Amino acid sequence: MLETALGPVQAIGRGTLAAVDSVGRAGYLAAGAMRAFKRVGMWAPHLGTQMFRIGVASVPIALFIATFTGIVLALQASYTFTGAIPLYFVGTLVGKTMILELGPVLTGLSLSGRVGANIAAEIGTMRVTEQIDALEALAYDPIAYLIIPRVLAGLIMIPAVVALSNAVGIAAGWGTSLVLLDMSSPEFFKGLTLFFDPWDVQFAAIKSASFGLVMTAVGCFFGFTTTGGAEGVGFSTTRAVVISSMIILVLDAFWAATLL
Amino acid sequence: MNRGKELMVGAVIIAALAVAVVGSLWLRGTNWGRGETLVEVLLRDVAQLRAGNSVKFRGVEIGEVTDVQVEPTGEAVRVWLSLDGEVVIPPEAVVLLAPESFFGDWQAEIVTRESYSSYDFYVPSARERARDVPVLGGFALPEMSRLTASAQEISDNLANLTDRLEIAFNDTTAANMAVAIGNIEQLTSDLRSFVESEARAASDLSSTAAAALTEIQAASQSARMSFARVERLLSDEQIDSIMTYVAGASRSMQGLAQGLEDSSDELTRALVNADSAFQRLDMFTRRIADGEGSIGRLLTDETLAIRAEDVLLSLDLLLQDFKANPRRYVRLSIF
Repeated sequence: MLETALGPVQAIGRGTLAAVDSVGRAGYLAAGAMRAFKRVGMWAPHLGTQMFRIGVASVPIALFIATFTGIVLALQASYTFTGAIPLYFVGTLVGKTMILELGPVLTGLSLSGRVGANIAAEIGTMRVTEQIDALEALAYDPIAYLIIPRVLAGLIMIPAVVALSNAVGIAAGWGTSLVLLDMSSPEFFKGLTLFFDPWDVQFAAIKSASFGLVMTAVGCFFGFTTTGGAEGVGFSTTRAVVISSMIILVLDAFWAATLL
Repeated sequence: MNRGKELMVGAVIIAALAVAVVGSLWLRGTNWGRGETLVEVLLRDVAQLRAGNSVKFRGVEIGEVTDVQVEPTGEAVRVWLSLDGEVVIPPEAVVLLAPESFFGDWQAEIVTRESYSSYDFYVPSARERARDVPVLGGFALPEMSRLTASAQEISDNLANLTDRLEIAFNDTTAANMAVAIGNIEQLTSDLRSFVESEARAASDLSSTAAAALTEIQAASQSARMSFARVERLLSDEQIDSIMTYVAGASRSMQGLAQGLEDSSDELTRALVNADSAFQRLDMFTRRIADGEGSIGRLLTDETLAIRAEDVLLSLDLLLQDFKANPRRYVRLSIF
């Protein structure tokens, strides 16, 4: 009877401790990463490979998403504006929305699934198969060897991928306006340049860099803290995707509130 | 890591940087190697104009607003314009700020002062005009919000007016207006009749006037002829004989006046005689009134008067009898 009544209290305590434990582990990992950042010779050789895997390999899927996002934006803007607002505002809406919001967020969310899950699964597998222990035994710093190159690659390549996505999304919206909306190029670009501010591009770069940092760091964290064999790897992978997606959305609101 | 992967990574980064940098510059409207003309504008206020708004000349976009700052004195706002290429600014050019559309974006349009002479453009000082950079005066049209506020005020006033009309225009008012309209209709009919009769009278009067004019014309013609005759008469030599006759007549008149003067003396004497006669008559009357003489006694003595009346009565009876029976008093025999 008493145990039943104390069950919820115990669950709250356990969750709190787990959260604090996770924060502690994350802090510990971050501190280790700061220390490992000095070991350039250990992470630099792997940086190119990770940039290719995280950045270049993600370009097709990012551009695919951006293309259809641009098309849908142009069509929905036209549908909304018809009869009330001049159609050249389609260019304004496509440009602003792609650069400020949909380009970084959709790319971040999609790559958090692809990149974050890939990193969590890879490092988690290394953890459960004791490969990380072997690295430590061989005097390799696993953080410098595994985490720093991936996080740096995400920090550098995700903004690049987002920039290409924005360009392709706007181009898709332009093409849609020409082909499906009977707009002219001058009309579209009039709207595109009407409220353009160079700060928008910088804002998108800052936001996408933070998304790259989050998706790689979260993947590395959950992979590095994986326990329990193959099941634990799957669990870590799932949690890495979910948590990184949530943090990306929170960061999206945070940057909008602080930088715009 | 092989060379191909490194090339791919480098290409993606370079492409992303190029897209970000070139795209930003292009969207910002940077002139790629083309020259630019800098123009400054002074205005009292700039409404919603912001850096980045377009600059137009004859409807064509030729540049953009690069900066907007309040003057240190606080009396004006200085706007910097960057115009594409070498633009020839017309003399007496001014800048008109106006909304570019209904969605908040504004524009600066270079116009001539005479085209918008009703606007109070800012006039830069001579020192400003003497600078190397062209400094133009400007004027900002009222913002849409101000126009909207004015329209709202007008709308409110119209609503109040409508309410008052609604209150004032009730059934009684409508009935009165119907009566008034009927009266006006009747009045209009009467006026029409009156106007028609007056028109007819005017027509008759016009005919009469025409006839009168004809007569006057004839009279004037006769008068002209008479005057002509008189003129001929006056100019004729017979005037001397006429004057002679007139002189004779004057002399006759003078004699007549003298005769009248003599008659006047005789009249004076007659009046003296008449006065004497009146004095005698007055004395005679006074004596009668005093009872002197037979007439005086007859008038003053009542008995005598009665007796005289009786005598007269008897005489009257005698005469009547004499008329009725003349044989009694007259006996006529020849033999």
